[in-house]
Amino acid sequence: MEATTGDLTDPLINHADGQLFLHEAFKIIVEEVLCKGTDVKEKVCEWREPEELARLLDLELREKGEPQENLLQRVRDVAKYSIKTSHPRFFNQQFAGVDYHSLAGRFLSEALNTNLFTYEVAPVFVLMEAEVLRGLRELVGWTEGDGLFCPGGSTSNMYAMNLARYRLYPEVKSRGLWSLPQLTIFTSPESHYSVKKGAAFMGFGMDNVILVKGAAPFLVSCTSGTTVQGAFDPLHRIADICDKHKLWLHVDAAWGGSVLFSKKHRHLMKGVHRANSVAWNPHKMLVAGLQCSVLLLKDTTDLLKKCHCANATYLFQQDKFYDVNLDVGDKSVQCSRKVDCLKLWVMWKAVGSAGLEQRVDKAFLHARYVVDQMKKREGFQLLREPEFVNVCFWFIPPSLRGKEKNADYQNRLAKVAPVIKERMMKQGTMMVGYQPLGDRVNFFRITILSPLVSQKDMDFFLDEIERLGNDL
Amino acid sequence: MDRHMNGQTTVEELMNPEKGSPGAGEDMEAAESFIQQAMEIILQEAVKKATNVKEKVCEWRSPEQLKELLDLELKDTGESESKILQCCRDTIRYSVKTGHPRFFNQLFAGMEPHSMVASFITEAIKTSLYTYEMAPVFTLIEDALLKTMMKLIGWEEGGDGLFNPGGSMSNMYAVNLARYRYCPDFKEIGIYASPRLVILTSQEGHYSLAKAAALLGFGTKNVYVVPSDNRGKMIPSKLEEKIQLAKSEGAVPFFVNATAGTTVLGAFDPIDEIADICEKHNLWLHVDACWGGGALVSKKHRHLLKGIQRVNSVAWNLHKMLMATLQCSAFLVRDKSCLLQRCHCAGASYLFQQDKFYDVSYDTGDKSVQCSRKPDAFKFWLVWKAVGTRELEYRVDRALALARYLAQEIKKREGFRLVIEPEFANVCFWYIPPSLRNLPESLELWKKLHTVAPAVKERMMKSGSMMIGYQKHGDKPNFFRMVVISPQVSRQDLDFVLDEIHSLGKDL
Repeated sequence: MEATTGDLTDPLINHADGQLFLHEAFKIIVEEVLCKGTDVKEKVCEWREPEELARLLDLELREKGEPQENLLQRVRDVAKYSIKTSHPRFFNQQFAGVDYHSLAGRFLSEALNTNLFTYEVAPVFVLMEAEVLRGLRELVGWTEGDGLFCPGGSTSNMYAMNLARYRLYPEVKSRGLWSLPQLTIFTSPESHYSVKKGAAFMGFGMDNVILVKGAAPFLVSCTSGTTVQGAFDPLHRIADICDKHKLWLHVDAAWGGSVLFSKKHRHLMKGVHRANSVAWNPHKMLVAGLQCSVLLLKDTTDLLKKCHCANATYLFQQDKFYDVNLDVGDKSVQCSRKVDCLKLWVMWKAVGSAGLEQRVDKAFLHARYVVDQMKKREGFQLLREPEFVNVCFWFIPPSLRGKEKNADYQNRLAKVAPVIKERMMKQGTMMVGYQPLGDRVNFFRITILSPLVSQKDMDFFLDEIERLGNDL
Repeated sequence: MDRHMNGQTTVEELMNPEKGSPGAGEDMEAAESFIQQAMEIILQEAVKKATNVKEKVCEWRSPEQLKELLDLELKDTGESESKILQCCRDTIRYSVKTGHPRFFNQLFAGMEPHSMVASFITEAIKTSLYTYEMAPVFTLIEDALLKTMMKLIGWEEGGDGLFNPGGSMSNMYAVNLARYRYCPDFKEIGIYASPRLVILTSQEGHYSLAKAAALLGFGTKNVYVVPSDNRGKMIPSKLEEKIQLAKSEGAVPFFVNATAGTTVLGAFDPIDEIADICEKHNLWLHVDACWGGGALVSKKHRHLLKGIQRVNSVAWNLHKMLMATLQCSAFLVRDKSCLLQRCHCAGASYLFQQDKFYDVSYDTGDKSVQCSRKPDAFKFWLVWKAVGTRELEYRVDRALALARYLAQEIKKREGFRLVIEPEFANVCFWYIPPSLRNLPESLELWKKLHTVAPAVKERMMKSGSMMIGYQKHGDKPNFFRMVVISPQVSRQDLDFVLDEIHSLGKDL
């Protein structure tokens, strides 16, 4: 159908229809995702094999559209077959639970649909982001500084590497790595893989992420809350070394950063104020909702902007009628950048720092409870005493108990977790992650952080592992 | 949920979710009530009013004023529910209504309700796209949408791809893959010892190529800029020259970025001719179709991207012309050898266990440089299901017809002058107030003209009547860039734009 001038006279879209659809769909979202999704009587997941799920969803995109009833059914189907990550028995990742204030913030961010590159298109959010970053920096121990929200902790870590490189060798921005000595990044073996991915992406090479003789170290990336075990690197001691050798100290606190809200537990990050940069993901322990990741910097020399700017004239005109320092876009390697600060701001406003502190403290108490219970139960063997909320353990079924000296013990133990995982997913009773680590065979990692979780859920979790694995 | 936790709580209380952290949904009824109220506000203020032509596009306040109005301070104690809801209202009030029929400021606009629903679902479901076990539905949906897009591009054998947080990221992926193909060892050893690698893009290309060069370690000086003609299109013979230049310097050109829909002028580089050159020199050819990719759904306009089936990779942002909510950026690569995975993988054992009980080739996480990744594809899949390809085509054709209408009107009106004849949805023009109309074409005229757009922009924003971008470009003084996208926009809105510019600027 050719669009003639006559068709241009009136709007094409009928917003009344659209608004009705929004209204109806929202009812389904509340019922199917929010209510059922957090109800302990419902399943955590409705497992289907990929081929079967593809058929159920009817994925094909066609020439013609569909009526609203069909679409609403699709909304129901998407909800049905998606994992209920807010369910009290979802322990699979480093995010869980739901905070309704942050959820409202997320819906609002989506509805307002804008980019955080200039004050002119995102006036409220430019100011809000600055305020949230200021509040987070204060918890790190910095009264000034810089930073921004990134699409994930991996990106925050990359930014830190880029800034450190730029500070040491500003010419790298224009001339590239060819003009530099081979730079090395130091990090621990338990650090997040984004340090390696970032190193490859940015031209350093993955091999240069460890100590290499004869090379030029320029950055240490240490971790506050490692992914699997939840360990905290000793920041003061590392900072001493970095000060001595003038290395950029980056703290990947994507997982552990939230302890800074807790007077009781912030000691785990003692010394963090000595770092140059901190990555912190409130979408993890603070339950802000994906994505909510910040990079915080101690720098006050506009390093972030100098390092990343490209001065695009179609966005960052210098003759605007307001103070163009408010246009934050050139601090970023992105162009479009989502508004991720609102979800955290609304939540923080609603519950206060005290409320967030409680959330963190409660997670520690749950972890402590689980550990204590595991010590009382036969068949549960901790990898080590946790210092955070990651509880790593093996479940040793009766058939293997006492057989540690057998030659095939490790092999047989390695097969236990995958089978229990398969069973829990197919029955939809809960979700917990497992992985090997170094020479340690598959063990479970339960991360307890959701504010919706109670003691009953912890007991259920232990009972269920036993129920699913006793016959192995 | 008007509760505050004061004083010490006991371990017993903390262990019971009924009295847990306020706001964490321990009381389903209260949580539901809050969300319903918040949603009511969102639907009324951020959707209904925000798309109503009788309302303002923006409620301008200076930063100092806005800080006071918003009460941004984060305190130790929480606030009441009614205060939080008021915060939501204020946030909406002072935010720019990017879905308004008179918002033309950026390369995104309009409001697509199906996409918005999909966004809400995505937020409510709250998962990450790294493994099938975590996001079974969204993994399959992303794959289905990418395959459909590849068919439109013309890749009969299919390919690979994923959705990224923005087109800049997609462009970076292209550069990284090209580098990896050139020498897979760089992933481990870095590029220190390699010959100097050179990226080529046109002078109208997006600045993300420069940012990519800086971030990925190439250096912005190693982005060789190829001149464009007076229509904003890359000149193929100049590309050949730059390639030869790089080679003569002992450098290695390895990547060419062709742009389908440049940011300011909306120009399309001649892909077929560029592909000839790239094939001859064995260079990776990437097409940044972030903006212009939408033309592929239109039988009438897809010729603008003729030759695109020959390229190695494509970046296409569905949140622009096709109106998915931000962000919805696809990166597609014509490869069936798992290049994306090999280039980016780190094999993290806590996510990508090889002994899972399902086919782990469905785990997409290691194709990405991110860890957590949002299910953005769903935001457009639902739109496509809802309206179908034909409607999408109609929307694109209509937007471009409106752009042509606007160009015609500009030519008819005194005081308005087109920068170039638009071939896409960007209509670039000057408004020349009466006081300048009789001045000879001279540097003096340009200098004065340069001040007109910023002044008109300030006035339109302070009155809230509309939003249009302006910029200088090369040696041309500030001109307006009207971008027509939304099917809610009609002829009347475009007539209004021209009337309003004149009304705001005639005394300058």
